[in-house]
Amino acid sequence: MDIKKSQQDLDSFDTKSSSVDRRDFLAKSAALSVTALAGTSLLSSNAKADDPAIVEPTEWGTKWGDPITKNLYGMPSKYEHNVTRRYTRLLASGNYRASIAVTPLQESMGIITPNGLFFSRCHGGVAHIDPNEHRLMITGLVEKPLVLTMKELKRYPSVTRTHFIDCPANGGQEWRGPQYNSVQFAKGFMSCAEWTGVYIKDILKDLGVKPEAKWMLAEGGDSSKMGRTIPMDKVLDDAMIVWGQNGEALRPEQGYPIRILVPGWEGNLCVKWLRRLDFASEPWYCKEETSKYTALKSSGKAIQHFYAIEVNSTVTSPSPEIDWSDLKDGDIVEVEGIAWSGMGTITGVDISLDGGKTYKEASLKGLVLPRCWTRWSYIHKYKKGEELLLTSRAMDDAGYMQPTIDQEVVKVGVEAVYHRNAVETWKVEKDGKVTHVEVRSQLDRKANGELVIEGKA
Amino acid sequence: MFKLNKKLLISISAAAALSLGLSACMESATPADTNAPSTASIDGGVAYPVVNGKTGPYYVNEQAHNAGIKFGRTPTEKEYKEWNTDVMADGTGLPEGEGSVEEGEEIYESKCVMCHGDFGSGSGGYPALAKGNAYELHKSLTHQRIKPNIDGPIRIFGTYWPQASTLWWYIKDAMPHPLTDSLTDDEVYALVAYILNVNEMKIDGQEVDEEYVLNREKFLKIKMPNENGFEPNIAGPNGIENVRKYFANPDNFGGVKVKSSERCMTNCQEPTAKVVYIQGAGISDFHPPLSAVRDLPKEENTAFNAEKVYVESCAMCHGADGMGAPVVGDKAAWSTVLTKGKNKVYSNGINGINGMPPRGGADLSDANFKSVVDYMINKSK
Repeated sequence: MDIKKSQQDLDSFDTKSSSVDRRDFLAKSAALSVTALAGTSLLSSNAKADDPAIVEPTEWGTKWGDPITKNLYGMPSKYEHNVTRRYTRLLASGNYRASIAVTPLQESMGIITPNGLFFSRCHGGVAHIDPNEHRLMITGLVEKPLVLTMKELKRYPSVTRTHFIDCPANGGQEWRGPQYNSVQFAKGFMSCAEWTGVYIKDILKDLGVKPEAKWMLAEGGDSSKMGRTIPMDKVLDDAMIVWGQNGEALRPEQGYPIRILVPGWEGNLCVKWLRRLDFASEPWYCKEETSKYTALKSSGKAIQHFYAIEVNSTVTSPSPEIDWSDLKDGDIVEVEGIAWSGMGTITGVDISLDGGKTYKEASLKGLVLPRCWTRWSYIHKYKKGEELLLTSRAMDDAGYMQPTIDQEVVKVGVEAVYHRNAVETWKVEKDGKVTHVEVRSQLDRKANGELVIEGKA
Repeated sequence: MFKLNKKLLISISAAAALSLGLSACMESATPADTNAPSTASIDGGVAYPVVNGKTGPYYVNEQAHNAGIKFGRTPTEKEYKEWNTDVMADGTGLPEGEGSVEEGEEIYESKCVMCHGDFGSGSGGYPALAKGNAYELHKSLTHQRIKPNIDGPIRIFGTYWPQASTLWWYIKDAMPHPLTDSLTDDEVYALVAYILNVNEMKIDGQEVDEEYVLNREKFLKIKMPNENGFEPNIAGPNGIENVRKYFANPDNFGGVKVKSSERCMTNCQEPTAKVVYIQGAGISDFHPPLSAVRDLPKEENTAFNAEKVYVESCAMCHGADGMGAPVVGDKAAWSTVLTKGKNKVYSNGINGINGMPPRGGADLSDANFKSVVDYMINKSK
């Protein structure tokens, strides 16, 4: 019956096809008939090699599945339970209420992080806000202060953009050397999603922002009242208040019902559970933009208002979590990764197999969007027993390129905590296992405090 | 206001036209150049103004963004005051009030010590508030742990924070961490006085000693040791321009700008660079443990596990010295706690006592909470 059906399909295809199509078709069917004739002789008759997954009937292949009335909000397959956010007690501050759970980059696909895997960072626990009892208040240097219900807010013209959110402490535990043998922990303080909301500038149009207004305070309504100061330049460019994440409402972990989205800037600026915007001529000095989220340099001065996430990239496959120990000699395999820049759009990624000594151009894949994860890959023929040092290096259209570790630490030192964007290296060991390493020089310090590379002529 | 917005809109579109005319963005053209018109942005990067109905790759309904949409209402005076609790560096928003170091210490001992430790020394993942003389320790900010056995910089309130206003505002709005917005203004003044005291700080030349009484007027005279320790300078009328200039120079923040055609493709590492491995076991405290296996989840043990709850929700305070809470395993401390009977211990825990929030902040039934208390008592016999 199947043969008959497919023959009919092919016949109808044939009658419509052009001569080129027809030639193509004839070649294909010739190949098919060869296989069909010779088929049995190409197959193994080793009964021991029979795969039960093929030759045994399966429960799911022979019995009814669930009715559609079950799981009206769908969940991942139960077999995917290891694909999950993870946390460490090292970052367990506040009984896990001022803490972080990070995204499994080793399992990430494309440029979208599913909402359940989006990294979760909070300062007073994950608040569960009743949207009916939540308001947004806009005050300060405006002619017309405003209160909006969530329903009113969503009446403004919506904007949908795909942007990553990157915690500036992503990689911040590894300024002095590698610590995590895991891409989830070494680089997973970030995720990427399609956000839907409103431009803040669209709401402000009717409010009469006074010319003296230079800064905006964004403050959350959770118990931490997390606040950050944002300059008007960004407010009037692309800063948004968002309620949608990947086509559904924000998750509580992302600030339900609303958060700020400051595209490309420190994740911490994207205040969750947003309830208040205030405008002033001077900045605020919130706790999370003074005591934290400031980058201490070797001069003893710290960078404040360090907004943009700089150009960055990492290999996500292979990873310590999903390595190459199952590969055979000569296997063709894809080295894959993510590149991102909060300063613009990724323009290219280079890959090194020797820890950043020599680079070749990798290929960008799929959509390349501003301030968004960008996929890249490189095809490699694997040689069993070889050792590789996989290092990726990204560039953006603002003209920046990822620095080497030496370049970065000589300039800013090793105590910055935040905004580490030097190249990352994953070592493929002889057995195909993958370990996290760094390729760097020993630092020394001159009498005037300046950092230099020890032994550099 | 309409004037202002118009002005801004005009300047944005002028900038867009400029970038089109000069093709400034094309200079950094690279293999995958987006060809999207861009302009320099305040953060050292580029912005994508709306040109020909598009910003970068996104189409824009320009009509929607110029439709004069008005929703919502004006807040009432009371609503505004309720939420307008921020305190700015110049004292805007700082209410009148007063509190002494002595009162502060008392409040600290009952509401803060269980997390921040004795004299603000920090514990159990909570930040330290003091480590000694702030003026002396401020000098540690140039420390760089480039080799073993070098002490790192000390970044705490006294040594690092640029403004005292941050401390007052943060305590008032967000402390104590499990029960925020619960302190009076006078209590906040008292706690701030105590924290200044343990940091051995001075106000207007006068030491904040145990007799000191802090009020608004004195508070506004606090000079933080690290007030000038931050760059760019964001204060004053040039704040925004200072930021723009600072991030326009990649050397200031460790950025590297290279034309893609001139980037290094061979010999890109210093000859001194070596492969550095994770020291010892590194950090491998991952929960749940790393695994990429596709299998069925282990049968969830639905039976209540008191030890697990203790570790997750109680050990942070009851597992460490100096937090004010009776430490599990400390027989003497627990026999003192138990002098009023087990039921009193249960009810104190359920209702909260001193700095302990109701049920320790855990979401537990009375029965389950009691079994965790039993677990802790049994471990302390």
